[in-house]
Amino acid sequence: MMTGRDASVRFLLPAAGIIVALAVTSAHQQRVNPQAKALATFQETVKKYVELHEQLESKIADLPKEATPAQIDQRQRALAALIQEARKGAVVGEIFDREARPYLRKLLYGIFAGPDGKRLRMSIQEENPGEVVKLRVNGRYPDTIPFSTVPPQVLRNLPPLPEQLEYRFIDRTLILLDAHAHIIVDYLTGAVPR
Amino acid sequence: MLRAVPGASVVPQAKPAAPQQAAAPAVALPNRADSFKFAVLGDFGTGDRAQYQLGEQMAKLLARFPFELVITVGDNIYGGERPQDMKKKFEDPYKPLLDAGVKFYASLGNHDDRAQSRYKLFNMEGRTFYTFKAPKEDVRFFALESDYPKPEQIAWLERELDNANEAWKIPYFHHPLYSSGDRHGSHVELREVLEPLFLKHGVTVVFTGHDHVYERIKPQNGITHFVAGSGGKLRRGGLDRKTGLTAVGFDTEQVFLGVEIDKDQLFFNAISRTGAIIDSGIIERRKEPQP
Repeated sequence: MMTGRDASVRFLLPAAGIIVALAVTSAHQQRVNPQAKALATFQETVKKYVELHEQLESKIADLPKEATPAQIDQRQRALAALIQEARKGAVVGEIFDREARPYLRKLLYGIFAGPDGKRLRMSIQEENPGEVVKLRVNGRYPDTIPFSTVPPQVLRNLPPLPEQLEYRFIDRTLILLDAHAHIIVDYLTGAVPR
Repeated sequence: MLRAVPGASVVPQAKPAAPQQAAAPAVALPNRADSFKFAVLGDFGTGDRAQYQLGEQMAKLLARFPFELVITVGDNIYGGERPQDMKKKFEDPYKPLLDAGVKFYASLGNHDDRAQSRYKLFNMEGRTFYTFKAPKEDVRFFALESDYPKPEQIAWLERELDNANEAWKIPYFHHPLYSSGDRHGSHVELREVLEPLFLKHGVTVVFTGHDHVYERIKPQNGITHFVAGSGGKLRRGGLDRKTGLTAVGFDTEQVFLGVEIDKDQLFFNAISRTGAIIDSGIIERRKEPQP
């Protein structure tokens, strides 16, 4: 399942298929599209992260269907602790890696420069005041900052994510959020034009 | 379909002072003994003063109009969702309602953590989309997750609508199919998927939020859509007055809806943070199309 709020068109998204198709070496040119290669690598890295997430999540009890806020919070923090330990030393750019970063920025700038770009930026900035916060890979998503909207026009163009992960924005930075553990898996600065 | 809705083309002008009233007298909720009564609340969990004041108005309404449940149209909690946040942004502002046994049935918005589906006071039982029968009258609700309308959910909805025998089928979710909100507006792609199902199954009213205003949309293909996205958040002057969609809009105070269903009639009052009825009316149930 894809993630990211405001994703009203995820059922229309053929992105995964497109990425796979793009990654295939052209029969005629026998040359790999570097953009498709970067996306394929990104997807593979995401897959590995999710495998780790699932392995660690299986070690903690599932929530009851009618949980208290304390139970929800405790489970979130327990999973976060396991992931933080397993990814000790993780640094920015491990998932949004050097090949993926320019592509993602270009992609996002293209969207935000489009005819609906101003409105999309305003939509993202709603409840997203651009506070100066120090982001930390493997750190908890700031409790003071509401989750941003991720408009469908943005989401449909980003590589799809499994259910455990979501795209969010804080100010101009694209966040890769572990939605179950409430931690920042990675982030990409300068993802939204001023 | 709508009748007795005075001032149907009135869009109160934005002013920073007192809330504006629709031009004509309000239609009172009849408050009949055996009717089904509920409230609608959206975009509320800020923890700030305005949310609490609207909560007080809900408690005042409850004292004279014993509604049994509240449906939420998403963006239930803004920012942190730690235990202290849930208390400040939900449990305290609605304490009189919760203490009186009023149940909240939530749907999720774009700012909500999906873990809310496990929060017992939201009665979602771990589901991000679900259906339930109202305790009175011939009413069934359909809470949808419009953030994630995957094909499975759409197939589920179609199946549940097919199976529902209730006269009133009431969908509610976050993203409005029609809205004059200048921040988000109508969700056309979602509309293309959901509206045919609603039309096919005789849906009469749809409740949504997302845009931080109150708006009753002029009936669209016979269906009345409400945007109740100012339960705590408010976007002053956030209504685009040129869309032609608005029956009544209000963007200067927080608002919730009190609703009563009695047989084939739905009565509604939109009530502001200061207790003013800013919109009201009666909606007759649409009959399900014959095959």
